[in-house]
Amino acid sequence: MNNLFTIFIGMVLINNMILAKFLGLCSFFGVSKKLSDAFSMGIAVTLVLLIASISTSLIFNYILVPYELEYMNIVIYILVIASLVQIVEVIIKRTNIALYNAMGIYLPLITTNCIVMAITLLNSTEHYSVLESVVNALGAGVGYTFVIIIMSGIREKLDLADTPKSMRGLPVAFLTAALLALAFVGFNGMV
Amino acid sequence: MGAVINILILTAIGLVCGVLIFLVYRFLPGESDSLKKTEEISENLPGVNCGACGYPGCFAYAQALVKDKNIFFTSPCATVLNDPVMLNNLAEVLDIKVDPSAIKKKAVVRCYGNSDLIGNYTGVKTCRAASSLVGGYKRCPYSCLGLGDCVKVCPNNAIYIDEEMNVAVINPEKCNGCGICVRECPRGLIKLVPADSNIVYLCSYRPRRNIPGRERCDMGCLHCKKCFKACENGAVIWDEEKAIPGFDFTKCTLCGKCIEACPHGRLIELSKIKKENDSKKESSTRESSRKEDSGGESSSDKEKITV
Repeated sequence: MNNLFTIFIGMVLINNMILAKFLGLCSFFGVSKKLSDAFSMGIAVTLVLLIASISTSLIFNYILVPYELEYMNIVIYILVIASLVQIVEVIIKRTNIALYNAMGIYLPLITTNCIVMAITLLNSTEHYSVLESVVNALGAGVGYTFVIIIMSGIREKLDLADTPKSMRGLPVAFLTAALLALAFVGFNGMV
Repeated sequence: MGAVINILILTAIGLVCGVLIFLVYRFLPGESDSLKKTEEISENLPGVNCGACGYPGCFAYAQALVKDKNIFFTSPCATVLNDPVMLNNLAEVLDIKVDPSAIKKKAVVRCYGNSDLIGNYTGVKTCRAASSLVGGYKRCPYSCLGLGDCVKVCPNNAIYIDEEMNVAVINPEKCNGCGICVRECPRGLIKLVPADSNIVYLCSYRPRRNIPGRERCDMGCLHCKKCFKACENGAVIWDEEKAIPGFDFTKCTLCGKCIEACPHGRLIELSKIKKENDSKKESSTRESSRKEDSGGESSSDKEKITV
């Protein structure tokens, strides 16, 4: 139990996927302009991470390891994650159209995002069990949502600020992200 | 032997994924008719999700069209209207007849600019912020603040700020009438007019607390009703409550008599804005054309008054 908690907190704050490992940055800068969009994106990332880590850790622990096929993990993971996300998208589209309107366009966007690949590969290199993988993915998803919400809040305010012309838009967003990353260094050594 | 098993395992995983996708597509409660229609419609939409129609994206717009196809007339997709092929396809799918020239619109900023300042404004450089703070920094409450909220949202870069007149100007050649700027202007100065209409009135002043226009802004409407009297076809409607002219574009014959009659040159041909492009040089021609416009009549008017 203690171990699971450590994994979760570690993923949310200390090894935050965006600010400590610099993964998933394209969606982090692309979708963080509006708070509502950022929130939907965060939920979608968490969902995809959970689906991906459950399926891949099952395959890793019960198929790849017994047959010593670990070296093929990237190929299999891409195949499995892509098809599963496709299935989830279709299910959402046909059963709940309101939910599809809210986050449908984000699901295919993050299917092949590096953050998804990184979490699944991390699960296999650390030899996490299925439960640990799920907690790991949940932590990464919550950490992503947390940071992208902070970022979008700042950027909404930043739009109104009197920024120098050359810094407007993306440049000042990069600076903000750098300062946020520095702030998150403060969590180092917590666990 | 081991290699064969490995190949078999990998193939099996791939097969399972493929079969799963097939099963989901085959056995899930099939797409309802409305969803099928929605997809058919959204294939004929531009798919750029600009939000100009007032819906969050093309898919949401298609959903709204499925429910009520008359929405296309009340909030049309400007990109489709400007593309005859797309328009034909969409009209076929929706089973409606569309006459693009009847719905096509252009946006006009109804302010001539250069209203007197109350004071210097140094705050956040957006119209929305400026107008929520003491109702804007210009004397006329219906003047363009010229901070360019509309410029930022225009997907076609059709709007520019005329530095000299301190007013946003929409280039009717570039404007496709999407109406995003109409919603963006905090003072509601931008209006969509029919694209083939020739005459626009560049002031949205309404007397509030019975203050005549000129005390607010010497560019404003005099309420002289000359345009109303000059029109022979009854196309100029005098709005007693607002005390500014309105137009019935169905009756307008584009004779231009109201333009000649206006002592201030506030009535202007829509096509005349076209010549005034983004460059500074041309914005100065706008200034000079204004002087010419108002020069003839209004100076002679003034002479009459002084004499």
